[in-house]
Amino acid sequence: MSRKVKANIISITVSLLVTILLTSLLLTVIGRNPIQIYSMLAGEVFGTGYGFGQALFKATPLIICGCGLALCFQASLFNIGAEGQLNVGAFVMSVIAYTFDDYLGLMVMPAAIAGGFAASALWGLIPAYLKIKRGVSEVITTIMMNFIALALVNYLLIEFLAVKSTVRTEKIMEVAFIPKLSEYSSLFQGSSANVTFFFAILLAILMYYVFYRTRFGYEIRSVGLNPVASRYLGVRTNRVILWSFLIGAGLTSFVGINFIFGYKGYYEFGFSNNLGFTSIAVTLLAKNNPIGIIFTALLFGVLDYGGLAVNTAVPKEIMLVFQALVILSILAVDKTVKIYYLKEE
Amino acid sequence: MRSETIHIIEFRNITKRFGNFTANEDISFGIVKNSIHSIIGENGAGKSTLMKILFGMYASDTGDILIKGIPSRFRSPLEAIANNIGMLHQHFELIEEFTVFENVILGSEPVRRGAIEIQETRRRIIELIDKYNLGIAPDEKICDISISQKQKVEILKLLFRNSEILIFDEPTSVLSPVEVEEFFRIIRKFKEMGKTIILITHKLNEIKELSDRVSVLRKGRLVYEVDAESLDLDLLSREIIGQVETARIPQAREEFEEKEILLSFRDVTLKKDNVEKLRGITFTLSSGEIYGICGVEGNGQSEITEAILGTERCHSGELIINAKGISIVPDDRIGKGMIKEFSIGENVMLRERDSIRFDKKRIRLKARDLIDKYDVRLSDETAALESLSGGNQQKVIFGREAGLDNKLMVLVHPTRGVDINSSAFIYKIIIEERNKNKGILIISSDLEEILKLSDRIGVIYKGKIVSEYIKSEFEFSDDEVKKKFMTRIGKAMIGAAS
Amino acid sequence: MIESILSLTFLAQVLRMFTPYYLGASAANFSERGGVINIAIEGFKIISAFSYAFFTLSFGNPFLSLILSVIVSLLFSLLYAFLTIKLKINQIVTGVGFNLLMAGTAKFLMMLVYQSSSNTPNFQQIPGLPFVSDIPVIGKVAGDYIIITGFALVFISQYVLFRTRLGLRLRSVGENPEAAETLGVKVRLYKMYGVLVCGALSALGGIWLASNQSSFSDGMIAGRGYIAIAAMIIGKWRPVNIFFACLMFAFFEGLEITLQISGSFLPSQIIQMLPYLITILVLIGFIGKTKPPAADGIPY
Repeated sequence: MSRKVKANIISITVSLLVTILLTSLLLTVIGRNPIQIYSMLAGEVFGTGYGFGQALFKATPLIICGCGLALCFQASLFNIGAEGQLNVGAFVMSVIAYTFDDYLGLMVMPAAIAGGFAASALWGLIPAYLKIKRGVSEVITTIMMNFIALALVNYLLIEFLAVKSTVRTEKIMEVAFIPKLSEYSSLFQGSSANVTFFFAILLAILMYYVFYRTRFGYEIRSVGLNPVASRYLGVRTNRVILWSFLIGAGLTSFVGINFIFGYKGYYEFGFSNNLGFTSIAVTLLAKNNPIGIIFTALLFGVLDYGGLAVNTAVPKEIMLVFQALVILSILAVDKTVKIYYLKEE
Repeated sequence: MRSETIHIIEFRNITKRFGNFTANEDISFGIVKNSIHSIIGENGAGKSTLMKILFGMYASDTGDILIKGIPSRFRSPLEAIANNIGMLHQHFELIEEFTVFENVILGSEPVRRGAIEIQETRRRIIELIDKYNLGIAPDEKICDISISQKQKVEILKLLFRNSEILIFDEPTSVLSPVEVEEFFRIIRKFKEMGKTIILITHKLNEIKELSDRVSVLRKGRLVYEVDAESLDLDLLSREIIGQVETARIPQAREEFEEKEILLSFRDVTLKKDNVEKLRGITFTLSSGEIYGICGVEGNGQSEITEAILGTERCHSGELIINAKGISIVPDDRIGKGMIKEFSIGENVMLRERDSIRFDKKRIRLKARDLIDKYDVRLSDETAALESLSGGNQQKVIFGREAGLDNKLMVLVHPTRGVDINSSAFIYKIIIEERNKNKGILIISSDLEEILKLSDRIGVIYKGKIVSEYIKSEFEFSDDEVKKKFMTRIGKAMIGAAS
Repeated sequence: MIESILSLTFLAQVLRMFTPYYLGASAANFSERGGVINIAIEGFKIISAFSYAFFTLSFGNPFLSLILSVIVSLLFSLLYAFLTIKLKINQIVTGVGFNLLMAGTAKFLMMLVYQSSSNTPNFQQIPGLPFVSDIPVIGKVAGDYIIITGFALVFISQYVLFRTRLGLRLRSVGENPEAAETLGVKVRLYKMYGVLVCGALSALGGIWLASNQSSFSDGMIAGRGYIAIAAMIIGKWRPVNIFFACLMFAFFEGLEITLQISGSFLPSQIIQMLPYLITILVLIGFIGKTKPPAADGIPY
């Protein structure tokens, strides 16, 4: 095992431990017994099929969005705009799905997915273009595009497309729904976990393959690691940046599959609930590795549902704190390991 | 007379090593108060190191520096500045968005209760500007003024801090001929005002026109010291270069009947930040030959590469490249030559643009192929390139670029920081590639290397090829011929070519 | 409708909304002038608004609560400075983490202490200046300590940045830390000053919002931390320009509120979008040219 791989394992383990320690401290301070809370959480999530299914359901969009972000991060593009990109994509996805189902029948699903992808990709095109042509940092533009996206979708919903006195679109036809896992196994009875989960896993595997087995993936990573050398090696860096941004942003729209086709049947304003930001944490924790993202997303899924499970003992929002602490401690531990273990810098 | 001279600075047995490399070895000499003292030598001769020791940026391993007779050892440049020593670096340390005034006072702001005393300080600065005829306005922003004016701001910073001893590190390399004249006037004014000046230089006219005394450093040692009046130009040129091993690489060189011109520069000028880096350079490279460009660094070498690769636009003249692809071994191995986190095979695959898939087996095959062919020593072929030694990294880059079968190869400092064995191997490859009727351009500040390999040599000085030599001129029959040649090329490199 | 915009009430409204924007934008500016990007202004406002609610509900004394809340924000700023300046962690990522942490912590504590996911109980506002605040309409503006501070800050930050040693050095480390260091400027120390000032000022913005609505509620900051960053960019990192940018955004917000009441020709979402759209147009270079400090965001 190379020193770098070891360093990665060390920093992930240590930062998880640090987070658990800090959270336990917080729980103790407010007079709760951390052990009791953790065992409650574990019992609820891993003890019942329903709980486990819910965790999978919560992890699904995180895997998907994480894969899109990983594509950008691998190319050293700080896409902070997933929240906006995925909302635009999911919104367009649902609109296509319920508008054209009469004409397209079941083919409406691929059409909706393609449309959603295109919409999210378009949302990523603007910051990508500005970065390449005008040298404008993608960080600021993606943040701004988030708000524009949400305001725009909100406007279109309320003025034209929402079901009266709601903030959601019309429902898609029943036959287009993606089967729930409970249809295959009674274990998941009642949970919202659906086949999209497996789609997310496949996506992660595919992304892994792209990153580590194809020229495109190598070019993305080389641009991310050293853009100057990449140019000397004949990589067309601007093109790589453009495509990673487009595809990365486009992929975030797929979270809509889980929510629209797998769960509610419609787009609802606010469904993402900071998903685009939580995914940043998931992706960074996994060091932009898609296979790693499956696991970190599952961890966050467990926490997300686990929060509900322990809500009677401690407010479920404790998990938000936990998630934020994970991301900050991985950043801090990572740097410390780099300085003291890898002797960089 | 001699007894009256006071050495304001005296170097005594200064030695400084970086790992195995000795940058300064037992250097001793004195600098006379209120004189202009030049220090000359090739790149890497140890001039900058010595000055950095004086200025508190490095600590010497052994030896002392006496300032006004008192042993002084500055732990930082700030201490040196506090002792009235100032240094003008080649690379300016200015804040582009600040005004001249702000740049000058930063770090030594006269304040009253936290607020900067603007009026009084401004008056003082304007006085200094007038006194030394610097011709800059205190309220102009740095980003709006020319390079020579920026240099004057740097000088003003030193004056504002009451520097008595001024160190200038190759100050004229960024200036146009007219600006150089102006700079000379300022320097003379300094001397008039009683200041002491140390001038690091590569240029003969600076020695002739300005200096009182010259010290020549070579490979970390002081090899020659003379009063400027009694300067022997031929001797000086030879001392700068020193004894050079000129034995040619014995490998047979094939001669080709059909030669085509692969690369041709005709009167090319190239500007960067409005400064001409190439000033009408002309040379050609044909297939089946090695053209070596030598010269002191910073005379336009990097701009040649940038022009060829198209990363910088030529301003005028004609540049013709008659080759489909260009193989390049860049100067900065790690920063430009490879993705250090990738393995050998991955780097090769990335450079050869022939496959979409990067499967492990092919990566391994590519790696093995290169390892065998170019004698790369490593324990694990899948290891990241950063774990290899410099010599092996360079062999990988060479192998990769040679394998591309481009007719045109550009090699920049091909063996810099590479061990002797690897260097020898790399030389062998270069000749082999030449013998495949490729055209190879070598840009190097290592004269020995250029003499060993080249079929033709061009000396670059201030963005121009100032003299060119063909093989017969540097395949020396006897020592006298060699001595004559070395004098000629040495003079050309410091701008004294007749 | 025109009458409602031209009224004194509307003007007072705009001047009031200006305050949290300017405090935030000025906060971001102090940090970025020192070369540290802080996209967590939003989070700093959230945590200090909540802290203010918590302290004032617990102790009752608004001024003590104000001070304590600023201290809370400063503690978070110290952590931010440690991570970004000492450990040199990427500032954007740290900012994202901080936003999650501070928003999450506020939500968690609100649920824990007040058993509500939406808002805290009501509390007393920070009292205004005696006499002045009793004047009708303008009293609520001219008698408010934080609003007065906000306006004074235009002059103060201009003075501090461009006329004092602190300002000169702060700007130097944001523009060219290497050069600053060769002249003896303690680069990291000044960067930390910038981050701390940023924490304190954004806290004031959050506290004002909480005090103004007499409670803390989830989502009450509503992107004002990001709009503050937008105002800083549009204002080209200059206190006076930022003043006008904030005034413009405050006008938009006042307009939005007024239009909602009096029926609109322009949808409120479009008005909400404007600050962000204008920022992007400015970044593209359609409206003037804008350039951040040269070493902005680069760890040293």
